[in-house]
Amino acid sequence: MSDPNAHVLEMRDVAVHFGGRGGLFGASGQVVKAVNGVDLTIGRGETVALVGESGCGKSTLSNTIVGLQAPVSGSIRVGGEEVVGADRRKLNDIRRHVQMIFQDPALSLDPRSTIGATVGEPLKVRGVAKGAALKQRVGELLTQVGLRAEHADRYPHQFSGGQRQRVVIARALALEPGLVICDEPVSALDVSVRAQILNLLVALQKRTGVSYLFVSHDLSVVRHICDRVVVMYLGRFVEIADRATFFDNPKHPYTRALMSAVPQADPVVQRGKERYVLSGELPSPANIPSGCAFHTRCPLATEICSQVRPELTPRDDGARVACHHA
Amino acid sequence: MSVEPRPLLSVEKLTIEIGGAAVVDDVSFDVAPGRVMALVGESGCGKSLTSYAILGLLPAAAKQTGGRIRLDELELSALSEREFRKARGKDISIIFQEPSASLDPLTTVGSQIAAAYRTHNDVSQAEAYDKARQMLADVGIPDPDRRLHQYPFELSGGMCQRIMISIALICSPRVLVADEPTTALDVTIQAQILDLMKKLVSERGTAIVLITHDMGVVADIADDVAVMYAGRVAEIAGVHSLFAKPQHPYTALLLASVPTLDDLPKADLATIEGRVPTPDEFGAGCRFAGRCPLVTDKCRIEQPPLFDCGDGHRSACWHIDRMHEIVEVAA
Repeated sequence: MSDPNAHVLEMRDVAVHFGGRGGLFGASGQVVKAVNGVDLTIGRGETVALVGESGCGKSTLSNTIVGLQAPVSGSIRVGGEEVVGADRRKLNDIRRHVQMIFQDPALSLDPRSTIGATVGEPLKVRGVAKGAALKQRVGELLTQVGLRAEHADRYPHQFSGGQRQRVVIARALALEPGLVICDEPVSALDVSVRAQILNLLVALQKRTGVSYLFVSHDLSVVRHICDRVVVMYLGRFVEIADRATFFDNPKHPYTRALMSAVPQADPVVQRGKERYVLSGELPSPANIPSGCAFHTRCPLATEICSQVRPELTPRDDGARVACHHA
Repeated sequence: MSVEPRPLLSVEKLTIEIGGAAVVDDVSFDVAPGRVMALVGESGCGKSLTSYAILGLLPAAAKQTGGRIRLDELELSALSEREFRKARGKDISIIFQEPSASLDPLTTVGSQIAAAYRTHNDVSQAEAYDKARQMLADVGIPDPDRRLHQYPFELSGGMCQRIMISIALICSPRVLVADEPTTALDVTIQAQILDLMKKLVSERGTAIVLITHDMGVVADIADDVAVMYAGRVAEIAGVHSLFAKPQHPYTALLLASVPTLDDLPKADLATIEGRVPTPDEFGAGCRFAGRCPLVTDKCRIEQPPLFDCGDGHRSACWHIDRMHEIVEVAA
């Protein structure tokens, strides 16, 4: 990367909106504010979790970071280089520093390519290696993720789900990116395999110093793997804190509801814990409630919540929370 | 499985074969009214096939070759398809994982619920709609009058799952099979649906067979748990006993591989090496032998029966006396 001291990711006031200009049938569609004024910094070797329900904007945000979606405003720097407004060539150059792993490995692999071809493709496209050197590098990458070099000649259907996710991880690491965005990387896997992949992600980070943006709804996995946690609700961050602070002292009522909703794999803990069940469902991002977007479901809501949007404000323990009452 | 009323649903020595391989092998369990029996296991363990057999919905390639399934005095496995159709929906019902795939996109939800009711009850359309409206209110759908006339695409995933539950329960079946009912839902919605299922169990005395891979869901709602591995029951116990003192190496490792709030962050999680054997790899012995840290020659040769460990806790392992070694491996 150009500046070795820069953060792997620096986002300032990023907003991503959809629609609003006619739409498919010429109607004046509503603007969907999927991401709305978001700041996020990720340091080297850091794992940041992005937590929230479907429709909260976390996938839009991930897509925006890798340049698959253009923001309407704000700045995104990857390794110090500005993504927003970069031309094609520049964008291509930046993209090698940020890679993505998706939920379902079966959908991320070409069934008609050998996994050697799949893992080697980024190296070939970028002209990093070819011929024998390429073959050797692919072998190293496969070994690094716990497969064997001779697996390179096999096809995705010859592997189990966990092994396929290892292939996807090997491909993501081929160009030695500074940041890997992991979008629910273990949700589609069986429980015993999940642990293997989590262990692998941790081990790879220790070895290579890669940073992760870990998109997940599973808070026990998040607590296991992340250094910092960001909670997103309807396009905005509502709480950001270090892992320990976050789990020992969650503040935003939405965070507390999420924590209460994740069932613990222990019947004594699970049945004894304080229940904090939210009523209703996530409002449509096309029609975000006024003031604090969470006030329609919040047990603490008062009049001010429907009128004034709370900003993220720092608390004594370092957490930042957007709530009038927390 | 301490003192409990007479079982309502009884699965005895169920065996299902696909292409000559016993993909469900000698599976037995009972469910009493108002109880939740969880069938837990990874993909391919046979939990879904078991549930389809209860409903008489086995795919054509799968044949029940042994055992029987009884609902009270009614022997389900002896029913003809015609007779089964009378029982399905009325006595025994199912909800699936993906509500949007199970609802008819071209029909209003009200008409789908009413149709389920009229299949088993000779009533007018108006009466069936009244019943449907009441059912929607019971499953916690606000403004049921308006919802009745909406189509599935107009509803969220959580709402659709409530509609599925309404259809499944409108005839007050005594047994509900729930196949991963919350896997496709967000956690806050999952919590609402699990609470709803608990309410139905306690208010209506419905017996639930819950198919899941999520140990958290099991810990939340199950009374009893059968852990399945490669088509067999590895361990069966009351939920508290199972989590507190697992007696099968597979269960113990499975529980240790789930991150908990007490783990050291980024510490290695326990894993189960290798993979589940495919049906053509099933040997004569214990099907977990190839991955088990306690394995001995006996395990590879001879299949362990379910041993009684007291209090209805049973485990199919030759080495229950060495379970403390697993705890050390996992820690």
